[in-house]
Amino acid sequence: MTDARTEIFRRLEAARPPASARPAQWSAPPMPIDEMATLRDRLSDAGGSLQIAQREDWTERIVWPVPVSGIAHVYSSVAGVSNKGVGISALTDHDLECLDLCVLSADFAVVENGAVWHRPKSPRERAAALLATHLMIVVDAAELVPTLHHAYSRIGSEAASFGWFLCGPSKTADIEQALVLGAHGPCTMSLILLRD
Amino acid sequence: MLGRTRRSGLLSNRILVGQRAPESPEMRIALFVPCYIDQLKPAIGLAALDVLETFGFEVDFPEAQTCCGQAFLTAGETRAADRLFDRYLDVFDDFDQIVALSGSCAATIRRHLPSRRASSRAEGVAGRTLEFSEFLVENGVATRNLGRFPHRVGLHSNCHALRELRLGTASEIREPERMDPARRLLSSIRELQLVDLTRPDECCGFGGIFSIEEEAVSCRMGLDRLADHRLANAEVITSTDVSCLFQLAGLADKAGFEFRAMHLAELLAESLANVIRESSREFDPSSRDVGASQEGMDRTDGSR
Amino acid sequence: MGHVDRAREFVADADRTGWHDRALWFVRTKRDRAADLVPDWEALRERASEIKRFALGQLPELWCEFEENAIRAGAVVHWARDGHEHNEIIARLLQERRIERVVKSKSMLTEECGLNPHLEACGIEVVDTDLGERIVQLRNESPSHIVMPAIHLRRGEIGELFAEKMGSPPGLDDPTELTAIARRDLRDRFLRAQAGLTGINFAVAETGGFVVVTNEGNADLGTALPKLHIASVGLEKIIPRQADLAVFLRLLARSATGQAITAYTSHFRGPRPPSPDPQELHIVVVDNGRSHLLGRPAFREALACIRCGACLNTCPVYRRSGGHSYGATVPGPIGSVLETSRDPATHAELPHACSLCGSCSDVCPVRIPLHHQLLAFRGELARAGHQRRSRRAALGLIGWLFARPSGYRWLGRSGRFLARRLPTARLNALVSPWTRQRALPEIPEASFRELYARRRAAENDR
Repeated sequence: MTDARTEIFRRLEAARPPASARPAQWSAPPMPIDEMATLRDRLSDAGGSLQIAQREDWTERIVWPVPVSGIAHVYSSVAGVSNKGVGISALTDHDLECLDLCVLSADFAVVENGAVWHRPKSPRERAAALLATHLMIVVDAAELVPTLHHAYSRIGSEAASFGWFLCGPSKTADIEQALVLGAHGPCTMSLILLRD
Repeated sequence: MLGRTRRSGLLSNRILVGQRAPESPEMRIALFVPCYIDQLKPAIGLAALDVLETFGFEVDFPEAQTCCGQAFLTAGETRAADRLFDRYLDVFDDFDQIVALSGSCAATIRRHLPSRRASSRAEGVAGRTLEFSEFLVENGVATRNLGRFPHRVGLHSNCHALRELRLGTASEIREPERMDPARRLLSSIRELQLVDLTRPDECCGFGGIFSIEEEAVSCRMGLDRLADHRLANAEVITSTDVSCLFQLAGLADKAGFEFRAMHLAELLAESLANVIRESSREFDPSSRDVGASQEGMDRTDGSR
Repeated sequence: MGHVDRAREFVADADRTGWHDRALWFVRTKRDRAADLVPDWEALRERASEIKRFALGQLPELWCEFEENAIRAGAVVHWARDGHEHNEIIARLLQERRIERVVKSKSMLTEECGLNPHLEACGIEVVDTDLGERIVQLRNESPSHIVMPAIHLRRGEIGELFAEKMGSPPGLDDPTELTAIARRDLRDRFLRAQAGLTGINFAVAETGGFVVVTNEGNADLGTALPKLHIASVGLEKIIPRQADLAVFLRLLARSATGQAITAYTSHFRGPRPPSPDPQELHIVVVDNGRSHLLGRPAFREALACIRCGACLNTCPVYRRSGGHSYGATVPGPIGSVLETSRDPATHAELPHACSLCGSCSDVCPVRIPLHHQLLAFRGELARAGHQRRSRRAALGLIGWLFARPSGYRWLGRSGRFLARRLPTARLNALVSPWTRQRALPEIPEASFRELYARRRAAENDR
């Protein structure tokens, strides 16, 4: 009795359609003229917010989703924002359940859709990004790409075990198409672009 | 045995509507009259003939024609459809252009016939089959005097004309807009107000046997279309396809909505007849004075 | 009871039908607005279609490449010929590890295979974590849409459901409140889950990795914490290169919900590093009729489907009959192709639940000629004997008559003769599916060709 894999490959071979050409190089559209406005609009459509600040004093200048001093649990992998509570003391990723704020830095932002490309430094960081009530992501303002085509050129076919595009907070419209932010993951998402 | 028309009918006076002869008078043109127009709405066929003749086209009606086979094809009866395709090829092979009075029939011939009866002959005949409004616009009629039709008109977009023949740009597609020839013609008719619909190209729900088998959904689809036209205060609903009109008129009649459902050919014929009637009153054949009405009608864009 | 009868029941509630139709049309318009902002939209669709066509011609090579790369990254790859094998593989993996609590993110493939009942019969609790899926799971019904599983339900009905099943206060109907209730319940499930099951939107041969997209983040919450991640994927879901993802991801969310991108677009490759425990990643590759469809030239393009649901949203029939009237895992235009291919005897009616308007083909991001495939299916099904003999005989006879001018004329003349002489009530009854809600056109005394012949004769006399 053949095993499933052998049988499946046999079936695929028997049903193989005529070969067609591998599609040629794709030329992606250029950056829109109003890149900041586009990025802001797309992120806003996704329920997120965009702020632009100077690198030297951004933590004092931006509008925080919740006053940092008032919250107990912060996970941060960004200089200038300290870990607090379970952000320091969590033994397992599950302990991050009560995380109030997670602050991360991402590689770049994609203008056409408002997403950022993020490679969590650890599984803990990924769990923090999902369990925190508020998510804040910091990106260098010079690191903008026009479209996903440009994004994948940058990403390459890298060997990391996990990476994701994040765009806005967790959300759902499963109840009568009414948009609700904060389905399972964060209820807010702020993107901070830092200028030198 | 082929029938040939002579100059006849209401709109035969070419001079009155200021027309000029078509570009290629040697072009042999045949009229394809869909079976349901032939049997149930002959007035549409006559109107189409009148309109074509008014614009100077000599049109044959080959009597050996029967049906394009669409209903059989859509019912899955491909053998019956193939036989009808073969007949169509035999009947219309000789002609340079075939004018079909239905978007769905023209689509069946152009899109489906060549794939089922593959041959260069089939491709040729199919390629020479045009839907009525398509034929008129391609032959320069849109820039002529199309008469006067002082009514609010809703254009029902026939799905097959739109998505098979690509006469116009479907609302799903993101391409520079290609104007639908029916819309083009209607926009050139004086005093005709083309209304805007909330869903410009949603299906009426006829779909052939679908209208009988899925009667409940079919009727709901048609009633929703009618609601759209009512919202826009359309007095007349027109289309290039009579099956859509059967559906919409049938539902409207039973529901007590007041619409005139007119095939584009009927609408054009009436529009032209309106100006002929008017000019007949004022036109004095013995006078050298051309008169204001005559001058107005000579303008190619039909405006006064 | 097939689509015709279920659709009739659905349509009978005119208000609800209007509400359902408008809700889905709204999603279609959102798709339109999103496509407006993509200058190369049509070129992108064509490109996606080309990549899929290329991939479908290379499936053995691509899956070999994928398997090699996936294994190198630390995943285990399993192969399932059908839904039953798929379910057994997953049940065995869970039972071997004594796992009793599992969370699952949306996967139409697992619906197709009937995974949940299979696992429940083995004593394993499966909680669907996509909110729409959770709602239909609690109601013990199947999803009615492949992207918005609970689109057929009104907020008040969901409030009642939560009151009954989760003990929330009765009478709630605010989506934000209801979502918050689900959030609390599902958070608990995520934290206690011992395994996370997901689908796969795109498997990438070049890397041995795959992409899962969600708005809720439930696929991520379900796989970030437990020690076991099982991902199910259909044979058709593979694309050659990582860079190809750009094409599909630019099309997917816009086509599905009108969003430029989903909140989460997660790229997995091998299991998660230990945190602190090591994680396992198992990938189950499923055939279940896909290789059969691949062998059918007229229908194989349907394998390009990326499960966006745009064809459902635009389909005037789906909008007015609802997903449950199709009696299939995947409803709507694409379902009527895929399901009919897998099980023609059961679903022979589905290709006829269509007016052939063609809107589905025009919204499909991978340019599947859906309405042409539905048309082609009608011929196939008739030939294969899945059509009523009486209908075939009647159409065959009329077709035979129509092919002969004399037969055609005779049928037309006699038909009109009878129709004009029958009392209206009798006539209406005879053609009653038409006349239930529609008037018949007035039956003319003469046909066009008769009038034309008279006109010609009159001209000749002059």
